[in-house]
Amino acid sequence: MSEGDGQPGAMTRRRFLAGTAGLGIPAILSPSAWGGEDRAVFTFGLTPVFLDSDVQLLKSLKRYLQERMRRPVVLVKKRTYQEITSMLLSGQLDAAWICGYPFVRYRSRLSLVSLPVYNGKPLYQSYLIVNERHDARSVADLRGDIHAFSDPDSNSGFLVTRALLARMGERPETFFSRFFYTYGHRNVIRAVASGLARSGSVDGYVWDVMRDIDPALTARTRVIRKSRWYGFPPIACRRELSQASVIADLRAALFSMNEDPLGREILASLRLDGFAPGRTALFDGIARLVDTVRDQV
Amino acid sequence: MRSLWKSTPLRVKAPLIVAVLTVCVAVIISQVVMSRLTESQEKSLQRLTNAYLDGVATSVLPPVIRQDVWETFDALSRSRKLYQGLNVQDVIVSLADGGILAASDPISFPVAAPLPETVSARFANGRDLVIDDDRALAWVRRILVEGGEEIGSVYARLDLGPLMRERRQVLWALIGVNGLLTLIFAAIGYFSVHRLLRPVSTLHDHMERLKSGDPSRFTPADIASQDTEFASLFRQFNAAVDAIEEREVLAQRLADEEKLALLGKLASVMAHEVNNPLGGMMNALSTLRKHGGDAQVREQSIGLIERGLRGIRHVVRAALVSYRGVKGVHNDDVLTARDLDDLKFLIQHETLRRKLKLSWRNHIPETVAIDGSAVRQAVLNILLNACEASTIGGSIVFEAALRHDHLEIGISDSGPGLPAEIRRMYENAGQDNLQPVGSSGLGVWTAARLIGRLGGKFTIGERNGGGTRILLSVPLKEEKAYLHDVA
Repeated sequence: MSEGDGQPGAMTRRRFLAGTAGLGIPAILSPSAWGGEDRAVFTFGLTPVFLDSDVQLLKSLKRYLQERMRRPVVLVKKRTYQEITSMLLSGQLDAAWICGYPFVRYRSRLSLVSLPVYNGKPLYQSYLIVNERHDARSVADLRGDIHAFSDPDSNSGFLVTRALLARMGERPETFFSRFFYTYGHRNVIRAVASGLARSGSVDGYVWDVMRDIDPALTARTRVIRKSRWYGFPPIACRRELSQASVIADLRAALFSMNEDPLGREILASLRLDGFAPGRTALFDGIARLVDTVRDQV
Repeated sequence: MRSLWKSTPLRVKAPLIVAVLTVCVAVIISQVVMSRLTESQEKSLQRLTNAYLDGVATSVLPPVIRQDVWETFDALSRSRKLYQGLNVQDVIVSLADGGILAASDPISFPVAAPLPETVSARFANGRDLVIDDDRALAWVRRILVEGGEEIGSVYARLDLGPLMRERRQVLWALIGVNGLLTLIFAAIGYFSVHRLLRPVSTLHDHMERLKSGDPSRFTPADIASQDTEFASLFRQFNAAVDAIEEREVLAQRLADEEKLALLGKLASVMAHEVNNPLGGMMNALSTLRKHGGDAQVREQSIGLIERGLRGIRHVVRAALVSYRGVKGVHNDDVLTARDLDDLKFLIQHETLRRKLKLSWRNHIPETVAIDGSAVRQAVLNILLNACEASTIGGSIVFEAALRHDHLEIGISDSGPGLPAEIRRMYENAGQDNLQPVGSSGLGVWTAARLIGRLGGKFTIGERNGGGTRILLSVPLKEEKAYLHDVA
């Protein structure tokens, strides 16, 4: 889903209004809402790491960011991580909530804006799940399965399992009878629950949240392995924008989210505690996974 | 069953036929309705499945091209939510190589597994819609084509339960409504036709009374109460009764006349039979007058007269037995050779008058167990006819012998041959409806009746040198009777 793919820096207020008028953007987006300043539109990218298909949540997030950053905000959502990462790197997005894997891969060009705090820590795990009928107890038992990955640029939905197999001297194409990408952690759970795939690699945070939201779905899956802790998918921006006021505004908005009723509502929906500054060192674990995979020739 | 149907009166059969036809019409209408409903449902199903397959094919075509398992599965899941009215049970998307790319039920149809034979075989005949009435299922198929190349197929299994239920409901509604209407119409039809045919029943009753000899006519009131056809029929019946009664009166008159004619015929026969020996007796009397002094001649002539009188007595007694049922006269007496030889004298007046040469060969034993009186009377008649038929100065041959258990008597004359009606009478001896032909045929009629009654038969042939030979063959009575009689 995309609410606007234009160049954020070049987008004027008039262009924004013209571009969003047909989308039913509420009156709160009018310049008067943020003190009459004609401020540039802020474009924010979201990857499927985020709980997708929750339109209400997206509206709330957009509204919150607009109010706090006092500027128009466009939320850009794409099907794959690669698309969002490319847009971020090419300057089509001001910032994006991406996965740790592309963050590590493009660490030299990206800057960490904030890290979500989940269960008190800016960390999460990758889960290996199987269908309820699958009697697997370990990774070795998954040999010959049809396996569902989330995204080839996802840490928890691909890289962790890929590195695990690399350490076993295997590759997905040799270890599994077949594998496919669902481009969404929720889809991985659906694929495994339905039996389309016998096993899958999924974001532990998403699986936990889904267990609360849709227990019937997760009940048809079983976690057989939890990875070590990795840095939670970060909010990042291009390195050259890291000191820009718009990023400072974004950072402030995110840090103070649990101080605002709407922000708390958003955090509750996301099952997050809040957002923290974070450290890039938290992604060293992912970097090691990348190295492991790279070393397998 | 057939005889039961035949014996069933028309006033029952016709209404029954009407009722049965009404039921047939109802059944046919029901079948037509059901057939049209089935056709309509199939068309509707075809349209609906086409729409469904169009939608599914459109949504799965891009992922099928990319062989994207998840996107295909996701598209199938979304399409099921969109087409809930179609009761899609399973959807399978297979690739061109027959392997399953994705299915709505991946447990039953796993990814990469070959398409089950149970599915592919259903479409072996090339049709894309296969209905399994027994299981209330339909299978549909849509082949996915991109750039002229087949890249895969979509198979869907649809639950036809609701359609079948609807069909059953319509069927029961039809059975209920049609059944009720049929009963009503059949009853109306039955009673209407029954009422219409009531005059037939009345006519039948009158016919039955007519048959039993107690005819009754339709009264003017009866006729007036009917419509034109039956009024005309009743009038015709009355006319027929009149005609029958007139015919009966006429028949009675004819019967009376016939009785008189028969009486005349009897009298004629009696006179004839009495007259036959009279000639011989008169001759014997004449001989007695002339040569009465000769003891042998006297004895012979008296014997002849006695046998002639005995013959007349037999005729009279036979007539009494035949026409008045007099008891005590029986016909089982024997035939003696002398009885036959007497006949030579009984026809003597004729042979002399016509100057006939009589050749007499009587080879029968002294007594033969046979009705002598009847045989004698019959042979006398044949002989007299032979005399009459022979030309003046001609010859008569008489032969009598026993052959096996039959008495055979042959009489030949030198006449021109038997007229056809006389020959027929001989050949039809024994038939009850034998009738005399003219006054000259009375003797033949009598002979034929007598020999026929004894179970004998005549064989008519030609005599060597011209003339007719009549051979009569009469079976003898049983041996016991014969021996008894002899004793």
